[in-house]
Formats: sequence, C-alpha cells, structure tokens
Amino acid sequence: MFRLAQLWRTTTVRLTALFMLIFVVFAIGLLALISWQTSTQLQQQQADAIDRETAQLIRIDSDAGFRATIVAVERLSRQPGPGLYYLADPSGQMIVGNIDDLPPEVLAEPGTFSFNYARPRPLLDEADVSALGTAVVRSSRLESGLILVVGRDVVERRGFTALIFRWFAIGVGGILLLSMLAGVLTAVRVLRRIDTIASTSRKIMSGDLSERIPVTRRNDEFDGLATSLNQMLDRIEQLMVGLKEVTDNVAHDLKTPLTRLRNQAEAALRDDKSEAARRAALEETIEESDRLIRTFNALLLIARAEAGTPPGALADVDLSAVVGDVAELYAPVAEDDGITLETRIAEGVRVNANRELLGQALVNLVENALKYSQPTDAQPGRIEVALQREAGRVLISVADNGAGIAEVDRKRVVERFVRLEKSRTEPGSGLGLSLVNAITRMHGGTFRIEDNAPGVRAVIELPAA
Amino acid sequence: MKILLIEDDREAASYLIQALDESGHVSHHASDGETGYAMASSMDYDVLIVDRMLPRRDGLSIIESLRAEDNHTPVLILSALGEVDDRVTGLRAGGDDYLVKPYAFTELLARIEVLARRATPAEAATQLQVADLSLDRLSRKVEREGETILLQPREFRLLEYLMKNAGKVVTRTMLLENVWDYHFDPQTNVIDVHMSRLRGKIDKGHANPLLHTIRGAGYMIRE
Repeated sequence: MFRLAQLWRTTTVRLTALFMLIFVVFAIGLLALISWQTSTQLQQQQADAIDRETAQLIRIDSDAGFRATIVAVERLSRQPGPGLYYLADPSGQMIVGNIDDLPPEVLAEPGTFSFNYARPRPLLDEADVSALGTAVVRSSRLESGLILVVGRDVVERRGFTALIFRWFAIGVGGILLLSMLAGVLTAVRVLRRIDTIASTSRKIMSGDLSERIPVTRRNDEFDGLATSLNQMLDRIEQLMVGLKEVTDNVAHDLKTPLTRLRNQAEAALRDDKSEAARRAALEETIEESDRLIRTFNALLLIARAEAGTPPGALADVDLSAVVGDVAELYAPVAEDDGITLETRIAEGVRVNANRELLGQALVNLVENALKYSQPTDAQPGRIEVALQREAGRVLISVADNGAGIAEVDRKRVVERFVRLEKSRTEPGSGLGLSLVNAITRMHGGTFRIEDNAPGVRAVIELPAA
Repeated sequence: MKILLIEDDREAASYLIQALDESGHVSHHASDGETGYAMASSMDYDVLIVDRMLPRRDGLSIIESLRAEDNHTPVLILSALGEVDDRVTGLRAGGDDYLVKPYAFTELLARIEVLARRATPAEAATQLQVADLSLDRLSRKVEREGETILLQPREFRLLEYLMKNAGKVVTRTMLLENVWDYHFDPQTNVIDVHMSRLRGKIDKGHANPLLHTIRGAGYMIRE
C-alpha cells in the first residue's frame, strides 16, 4: 500500500530517523560516561578494600603476633570471591594464601602491582571466566618480618561493566525499534489522511462540487484543516450556485427585452404599417433599448461595487446633504401620488463614501417605497426618510406603510433579479435592492429590510466616519 | 457650428456626422487619435467630440495636450467607461462634459449646443431675460410681467439653468447633473414633476407659455 520510498519521503519518518540518530549518539556518550565512572569507582572500592584488609592484618600482626596473622590470612584465603591473599616468610617462601605464582618483584619490595596470573580456582562461581586472570595486589612487610600480599581479581569489575553494556544495548535497541515503529505508523496515518484530502480534491476538480473531505471525531489538526477546507468549498459552491442563478436570470431578464426589441423592429419593418405606426414602433424600440441599457448599467454597477473599493475611491461626504437632496428631489413626486414624504435628518453627518453611489442607493429605496405604497382613502401613504447617528454607526432608513414584504421574502428581495411575484408586472429590473445591498457592502455597511407594520423599513447601516 | 468628431468606430461616426449635418452643423471626422489631435490643433472648431479610447493616441491625452497649448475649445468626452471615477478623470483631463455610451443623439446634440454656448459671455450675465420673464442672479429675484414670482431655491436654480441656455434643448440628465449635481439614474419621471411645478409657477395665467417640453429630448425655455 505504502511503498518504502514514499514512506521515506514523509516528514514524520525523516524526523524519526533524525531523532533516532541523535538519540544513539547521545546514548553511546552516556554509556561511555557511565562505564568510565563505574569502573573508576569500582577500582577505587577495590583499592580501598585492599588497603583496609592490609591495615587489619598489619594490626593483627603487631598486636597478636605472626601466628594470629597466619590464621587470619588462611581464613580469608578460603573465602569465595575475588580476594587474593599471600603470606610469605622473609625469604619469599609461601606460608599460606590462594595464589602461588606471584611475580618475584611483588615479593622483592612493598608496593602496588598489577599482573596476569593463572587462576587457581573458579571465581564468583561463574563458568565463563578464563583461566588467566588479572590481579591488582599490594604487598607490605609485617612487623614480624613476614611478607603480606593482599589483592583482588579484577574480573569482578569487568563483569559489572559488561553487564551494564548488555542492558544498555538492550534498552537502546528497544527504544530504537519502538520509535521507528511509531514513526512509520504515524507516517502511514498521515499519508492516509493526506491521500483522502488529495483524492477528494481530485474529485472536486473533475466537477463534483458537492464532495467534502471527511472529518473524523478525533478533532486533531487534520480535522481542523479539513473543516477549513470544507468551509472554503461551501463558499465556492455557494458562489458557483449564485453565479449559475445570476446567469440564468441574466439570460431571462436580458433575453426577454432583447426578444421584444427584435419583435418590435421586425413589426416596424412590415409593409402594411402606416407612417405613424412605424414611428411609434421605432420609438418603442428605443424605449426598450433604454431599459436594457439601464439593466446593464445596474449589473455593471453591482459587479463593480461587489468587487470592493479601490483605495482612495471614497471621500468625505456630507451625508445629511445627500439624504436631504434625495428627499427634496422626490418630495413633489410623492405629493403628486398622494403620499406624504417626511424627513428626519440628523445634521452634519459625514461619512467616508462615494457620494454618487450612496445617492443612487437612496434613490432606489425612495423609488421602491413610492412604487409599493398603495395609498387608500382609509390609509394615506406615508414615507419617512431618516438619517440618524447611533453608537459609532450611521443609519439611513426609508420606511413606507405600503403592502410590505412577507418575512420569508425579506432576505430574498436583496438578491439579484429577485422580483416578488406580485411585482412582476411593475416596471423595473429587479436589481434595485441588490444594487443597494452591493453599494452598502462596498461601504463596509449592512443592508436590511425590517417590518414597519404596516409596510417595510429599508435600513442602510454604515460605520461612522 | 463647426464640430470635430474624433471616433474610431466608423459606423457610429458616419451616423453621428449625418445626424449633425441634418441638425445644421458642419462636422469633420477623424478616426484615430493622432489625426484628431492634428486637426483639433490646426483648425478652429466650436466643439470637439472625443472618444476616450482611440487607436494611436487616447482621447484624454489629446485633451491634455490641447489644454497645455492654451486651446480652450469645449470638449465633450464620449466613453463606454461610465463609472463615477472615470467621469472625474475625464473632466480633470480638461473635458467639459462627459457622455456615456450608449447615448441618445438628442442628448449629445443638447449637450454640444450648451457647450458651445458656454464659451460666450452669457455665462457671466447677472440678469437673464426671456421675453417678459426676468431673473436676477444677484438678488435672486424672478419677475414676469412685473409680477414677482416666489421660487424655492432649487426651483430658482432650475429656472436659472434653463434661462442661461434659453433657446436650447436641455435634457433631463443635464438638469439632474447641473441643478442637483448628481449623475445617478432615476427610473421615474422625477425631473418632469419638478418641471411641471416650475411651469405652474411661471406659465400659469399667461397667454404664451415659455417653458416647452421637447418630445423625446427634454425641455427648452424660449419666447
């Protein structure tokens, strides 16, 4: 499933190998230090033991005489262990002890010596000690004139060091094996997770946008990554669906007037037309193309506003004046329609904005309010255009008391080309509110439609300058 | 009026030239930037109509060069670029007016006629007079047949703009741009409503109306 070369390329395996190398070097260093320390210490202990026994025997010799010494050495010689003892008369002739072939210089004068010798008996009950041993001895002259040699077979020391080495090797080997195993397992796991992500993205690239990266319940870093990627995919899918919707709508809302345009031109060309009828048809054609141009302009403006603001495109704008201008511009229109247009405009509100675009947004809202206010005798139409400051924000609102928009539709009307069924017959491109929305977002604000009971209140919320 | 059109789209240009001729103007045509610049700087025109994107030399650079040579012939910029910033750059380069494609010929005609007029001293006159209607720009007083007419500030500006361009067609977008100083696109007949108010104030009760609606184009004030 996973080839060795592929495994070796993974970061986990490489890091594991590197750490293992560092560990081995460190372990060897540590082992060397420990064995050196141990052997020095053992050597010291042996030397101390030799000195202590020598001192004891010297005291026995001076206190109790040479016979007691002989008895003591003989007793020591018979004990099992690495202890080496030798007691000789002044001429060097052995009286008692457990080694026999001492080099002559040991007996010649007092001092400390180290030499190889033939082991006379098994030591420490260990089967594997060789016949030739190494001894460390100290020879001294006793008061009685006897020569005393006390020593140790160093096999004890060596054996101990070997023991340390053996266990150390087993430990290091075990750790290496385990860490390599852990590294490979991790790498395989990581590779498997990454393979899942890669195969999912291949599926998505081949066109299945609904595919998602599986998220486990482990909640690890891969799940974090998968969640972010899935969110990104959600957004992309949403945009793609939106784009498709827009293209469908553009196709419908532009093709319909284009078809009408073409039909009118064809009708105008027909021979059976009077001059006046031909003229009327051509005028219709121009009007139709003007509507098309409007729709195009609105679409371009939305696209532009949604693309965001180039730095420096916004300037300090007297928003109070803009809102006042638009209200004043539409006041006579409202009056003619039998609608009261009231204003509640806070003075001196300035924002960082594009004056033309904000003006256009406001015009769209006021025109919408005028279009959907249906004044009756019982309930005269009323539109309120307001501008107010509120805790770091600026609110521009246009409220009417018309038929209103059902709650389910309030979010939808902001979308491009959405025209509620009942307004399909009214003139308009269906882009008015989406343009308002795009312009508001471009200014870093939010646009929403609230219930005004009756009617609606359209609110543009902008950050205060 | 002698007009120079610098436009690379031959079909649009020949249609424009023909329409301008029919309206009684003499027009020349240049189809690229270099030729257009050479013609504009060597001959005397009343108005230049300059497309923004031209082969060999772009429209804005032609205008900048002309202005640098102290040539102040009014320029109308034609452009497919219609964003607010595009308009600002066009006017900053020295253009006098900006028209976005596609446009109605009546709109173009109204604008160049007003532009040509701008070069004459009428612009600075303090007293405007059309028949028995007079407007004093300093005292902001409007009278007809000796009777004072009370106007709202915006109505005053509207009448002022119309009277300044008396005898010329002004379109609805020209009014929105010059009286309200906005370039946006109202979908309703908002300007017509203001005009009918104004008409009610200055023409009501008078035998000969001064404010005329020009079908398919806009408005005109004349005797």
